[in-house]
Amino acid sequence: MTEPFEHLIRSTLTDLAEEAPIVHDQLSRAERRVRNRRRATVTVGAVSTLAAILIATPLALAATGSDEPPPAVPSPAGPAAVPSPPVPTPSTPTTVPTVVPSPGGAPGDPSITPGPPGVPGQPTVKPSPSTPPGPPGVPGRPTVTPTPSTPPAPGGVPGRPTVVPSPAR
Amino acid sequence: MDEDERARLAEFVGSRTPALMRVAYLLTGDRNAAEDLFQSALARTIPKWGTIRHADPEGYLRVVMYREQISWWRRLRRWRETPLNPADEPVGGDPSGGTDVRLAMRAALRHLPPTQRAVVVLRYYEDLPEARVAELLGCSVGTVRSRTHRAVKRLRDLLPDVDRLEVRR
Repeated sequence: MTEPFEHLIRSTLTDLAEEAPIVHDQLSRAERRVRNRRRATVTVGAVSTLAAILIATPLALAATGSDEPPPAVPSPAGPAAVPSPPVPTPSTPTTVPTVVPSPGGAPGDPSITPGPPGVPGQPTVKPSPSTPPGPPGVPGRPTVTPTPSTPPAPGGVPGRPTVVPSPAR
Repeated sequence: MDEDERARLAEFVGSRTPALMRVAYLLTGDRNAAEDLFQSALARTIPKWGTIRHADPEGYLRVVMYREQISWWRRLRRWRETPLNPADEPVGGDPSGGTDVRLAMRAALRHLPPTQRAVVVLRYYEDLPEARVAELLGCSVGTVRSRTHRAVKRLRDLLPDVDRLEVRR
């Protein structure tokens, strides 16, 4: 029964195809349709671009114009390592001003003004032993030793130091 | 597109329009819809003419027509109710030898959905094998078989008196 039915379908389709309309000038209509479609595509693209700009511009200005910094975006790799504050490392060793006794006399201290001529200069620095004197027989250790840095006044008699530093060793 | 290519295109359209319009009419079952389908397929073919004119432009145009007809977007855009004309009314006995059967089959073909109708046209009008139909429609051979089976079953359902009509032939 399938074969006669299929034959019926074929014959019906053949008869139906003969009734197809006869058309003319399809090419020009198709070309017009192509132009319209292209124009519509360009228009839709331009409108889409304009809409995107109109929407994105205020958002971009709002994002860039705010005073507060934008919230930090968590990185997927985990929190970033917090940089440790720099440890102050002394680049140069702290120099402890030590005064080395120089019996021979060191260059003069500019802060010390020489005395008037003829008058013996008095040492301005007086030794003040901070450490108590040691037991008898052991000399104490002075922390500050005077330096007779003042040059002798010309023509005068050099002053005599009142305190003689005791040798540390 | 230069003048030479446009002349070739015009020659191709002028020579192949009747055959392609028959297929379009079988696919749609309506004169206006057939013309619209052919124009739409031609509009899609014209931009590709420079690359397909040396190959098989008619095959390309046919494939565009087949796929355009079963396109979901096209069905969404152009939902039309096929009007019943006097030839589609149920027919009774006709002693003129098969005319009633063919008229009933014609009416039944118009009630097939586009996918089943395209398979029926390709299988029974174009006489293409299932593999070729599957290639043209962009589906699998199993899909072609199932659509063919459903189409024939629906045609049988729409022709309840086909046995009696065939007996009388």
